[in-house]
Formats: sequence, structure tokens, C-alpha cells
Amino acid sequence: MSTAPGQSPRRWQWLLLGALGLVALVFPLLFERGSWLNIAILVLLYAALAQAWNILGGFAGQISLGNAAFFGVGAYTSTVMLDRWNVSPWLGMPVGALVAAIFAVAVFFPFFRLGGHYFAIATIALGEILLVLFSNWGYVRGARGITIPFVRGPDRRPTDSWAYLQFNDSRVPYYYVVLGLAVLAFTVAIAVNRSKLGYYFRAIKNDQQAARSLGVPVLRYKLIAVAISAALTAVLGTFYAQYLLFIDPETTMRLELSVLIALVAILGGVGTIIGPLLGAVVLIPAAEISRGQFGGSGNTLDLVLYGGLIILISVFQPNGLVALSSRFRRRREAGPPAGTRHEPGEAPLVGAPGGNH
Amino acid sequence: MPVLLELSGVSKRFGGLEANHDVSFTVEEGQIVGLIGPNGAGKTTLFNCISGFFPPSSGTIRFAGQDIGGWPAERVLRAGVARTFQVVRTFAEMTVLDNVMIGAFARTNRTAEARERALELLAFTGLVAKSHAFGSDLTIADKKRLELTRALATGPRLLMLDEVMAGLNPVERTQAVELIRAIGERGVTVLLVEHVMEVVMPISDHIVVLDSGQKIAEGLPTDVVRNPDVIAAYLGDKYRPAEETA
Repeated sequence: MSTAPGQSPRRWQWLLLGALGLVALVFPLLFERGSWLNIAILVLLYAALAQAWNILGGFAGQISLGNAAFFGVGAYTSTVMLDRWNVSPWLGMPVGALVAAIFAVAVFFPFFRLGGHYFAIATIALGEILLVLFSNWGYVRGARGITIPFVRGPDRRPTDSWAYLQFNDSRVPYYYVVLGLAVLAFTVAIAVNRSKLGYYFRAIKNDQQAARSLGVPVLRYKLIAVAISAALTAVLGTFYAQYLLFIDPETTMRLELSVLIALVAILGGVGTIIGPLLGAVVLIPAAEISRGQFGGSGNTLDLVLYGGLIILISVFQPNGLVALSSRFRRRREAGPPAGTRHEPGEAPLVGAPGGNH
Repeated sequence: MPVLLELSGVSKRFGGLEANHDVSFTVEEGQIVGLIGPNGAGKTTLFNCISGFFPPSSGTIRFAGQDIGGWPAERVLRAGVARTFQVVRTFAEMTVLDNVMIGAFARTNRTAEARERALELLAFTGLVAKSHAFGSDLTIADKKRLELTRALATGPRLLMLDEVMAGLNPVERTQAVELIRAIGERGVTVLLVEHVMEVVMPISDHIVVLDSGQKIAEGLPTDVVRNPDVIAAYLGDKYRPAEETA
């Protein structure tokens, strides 16, 4: 990661981003078949989910352990519309986002009255309640779940359909769809971060009373944060339903999913733009590979390894994996402290804001 | 001078404790008004009532012709009343510039405009060299200066400062007094809470004295310091005969 003298660190960050983008674009050409493509799809899915979480939990500091609820609402909205009325998931996706955002605002309005840990506990309860409700709700086929019927070609064989967001011949189109959605999530996060919204979110995270004293309508902005987070999460829920072609409450709303979303963002680096991507790139393949290699025959060795990795990161990189980069930077140039170098006002692309200086 | 802020009969009770009882006074536009009183006199509670952090239990608070009593803090701010805190509440994980931009966003939705306004005010208060330092890295004097800058960035007509002098050394106090005068000269009305009398006296046009939640005196600084009730409140009843002025 060496740079020519005189180049600003911001410049190599963009170069790095460009290189990453290129790798992301050609990746499926190299790994068209097999489990690597599946892992890449999951990495992008979780990076986007973690970024959606980050807007609420990282920027605004409202730790949610119930984001799977929004994921489930998105998955169910589009799937029920498809199952009952044959509506394309492309239409179900924005509808699901809207439903999730409205649902989130209605439910979090009282939640935001709870202080500290009780807020997080309430979000756990939200996910669990939704799980039980959907498991017993006949209209959405309860715990049996909904199987999305194949789109069939003229020869009656399952085929690819962009119109119905379903690909049976190859997974490559799924990869590009989720890549697009991840770009959407990251673009939204960057835009939020630079705007008044991002500033107000950070003020709320830092000190709510001080924020109020400066005219920040705290509750309203928290609701905006959760609405954005929920809408993005729901969009990914629709994608996931189309990817699996089967949903049930367990796969879309379980607590482990909520925890994993938060974990990816936290271990990657809370409140930074790149953190959720880093977290997903490290954690998701670790989980998938260890499950593939050691997870058979029910011995749970994979979970031991995976848990060990999480412990290592939290012990040695408590500010998340992004903090590694400021460690490199400090070693390279013993100049001004790392914290003073990023553009004022924006969370750095790489590096924990305010940490390590 | 027109009246900008008018309190009449303001009381604030917390359960059985009455922190403010029937407080009435007015602040005229363009004045620097000192609100003084010993520790526990109810100054900060009154501040919280005016700035919308607590609703008053009874009485009315009028600002620029509107009854703002019971409005939430953010609405009071938008009406033109900004405040600082006795115990500083700097956004620790944000830069000095970002801190001030939060204030500036009260009057604009555009990031560039907020940044410009923040830099302008940082230059005015003498903090511009530290724009990129983090809130947590400032000295207590600079933190107080930052809070003041931030409050000023919201474009207030009335600026309420809660013990900005506390914890400052004599040099820093002198600088703070100069800054408050300069703010007054910009046309901002200032309501200053202090319990240290000698810092308030020279800059205030008008003084209001609170003790045990009630107003015990009001007037010109020179009159207030000779008031026997004020001397008793500060020094104890045995000094009531007022042999010396403070």
C-alpha cells in the first residue's frame, strides 16, 4: 500500500476503491461456477445489510438487533405479491421498502423513548415477535414458508427471467443484481454521511441533549435513520427471497441474522463507510469456508473457529478492521496524528473517525 | 429598547421541591443581562425552562412576542434562543468545525453553506486554527469557547450562557469577557448565568439575583451589589447590615 510522495491518502483510497470495483465486476468471469460465486454473493449481501445497519447504528448510534425484521418484511412483501398476484419482484422490492420504512417508523417511535440497553432489547423483541407472528399467520403460509414457483421456458424447463428476477441457469446475474444493490446501499450511506442528515446523526450519537440545544429534532432524525435503514434492508430481503426461491420466517427473521448484520458492521468498523464491506469480506467467507470444511457431521467445529476469529478481532482491533489502515498509515509517515487528516465533516472512507489519534 | 424576553410568575417544581418560585423579569433587546445567585439558587433550572429543556410548572415565558413556555428545545432554538451548558457538552468524537456546523445547520440545509458559516464564526471566536482538532482534545477553556461558537452559529437573537467563566483562569476569563462584549456588539442579546459576581458586574447592563428559587433583587450592577438581601444571600445573614460592598 505504498504511495508516491505528495499523493494525498484520499487519492489512494479512491484508487483502491477503483481497483476493488474492477475486481468486483470481473469476479464472476473467473469463478462462474461453484461455491466461490455463492460466497461472493453473500459477501455483497451482508456488506449491504451491514451498511444499512450502519446508517442507524453507526452514524446515529442507535444499536438495533432487530434488523432481520425489516429483511423479513421486504422478503415477504415481494414474495406474497408474487405468490398471490403474480407481481414482479422488481415492483415488490420498492413496495417492500416502503412497507418496511412505515413499519419501522411506527414501531421505533415508542422504542426511541427507551434509553440505552433497553432500546437494543426492544429491537431483539421486535424480531422475535415478528418471527412468531409470521410462523402462525396462515395468509403467508405460516412456518411452512413460501416456495417461489419457477419461471419456465417454452420447453417447460426452469429458465432465467430478468423480468421476474429469477435465474436458474447460472447464478451470475444474481451476482450483478446484488452488486448493484450493494452499490446502492453504499451510495446512500455516502450521500447521507455528507449531508445535513449525517451531521445530525453524528450529533445525536455524540450527545442528544447538546444536539437538542442546537436545534436538532432528535426523535425525527432518529426516525429518518431507521426508515432509511429499514428500506435498504427490505430491498435486500426481496433479493434474498429471489435468490433462495424459498422463504420462511426462520430464514428471513431469525435473531442470528440480526446479530450477524450488526456484527459485520461492528467488526468492520462502526460509523465508517468502508467498515461494513471489510467486515463482510472477512467474516462471511470465514463462516462459509469453515462450515464447508469443518461443519459436516454436526460437530460444530466451524462455529468454534468462526467464534475464535470474532474474539481475535474484538481483542486486537476493537475499533474494527478499518483501524488497521490508520495503523499502517501511522507507521509510514510520522506526521500529524491520523485523526486530523481526513476531510472535515465526513466519516473517513478508511479509518475510524476520532479513534486512534 | 423593546422587550425581547419576558418571564412572568415562572415556577418550576420537581415533586415537593420548588426550584423556581414566581420568577418575573424582562430582558431588553441588545442588553447583556446577568442572572446571578449562590449555588443552588435555581439559575440553571430557570435556564432549562427558558430553553425548552423543562416545561415550567406555571407562569409564562414570552420571547419576541410569542409564548414559548413548554416548547421543545429545538423549537425554542428556531425561534432564536440559543444556550450553552454549565457542564460542557462538546461533541467529543467530532472536529471543532463539525461541532459548529451542527449549529449552523439550524439555518441552512446545505453542507457548503454550513461549513462557510461555521468557519466565519470560528474566526470570530478565535478558534479557527483548531478547526480540525477533535472536541475531546480541547482544553476546558476552548471547549467553552467552542460551545459558545456553536450556539452563535444557530443565529440566535438571545444567547444564554450558563457559567461560561467557571473553571477558567484569570487570563481566560478576561478573554471570555471580551468575547461576550464582542457578541453584544454584533447585536445579540446575552443572558449570562454566573455565581461569581465580579465577572458579571463589569459587563452586565442589568442584573437579576436569584436565591432559593426566588428573585430577590434586580437592577443596575452598582445598585445590586449594595442590596442587603443580595449580600446576605451570598455571605450569610450576619453580614446583612451591609457594611461593605462586594
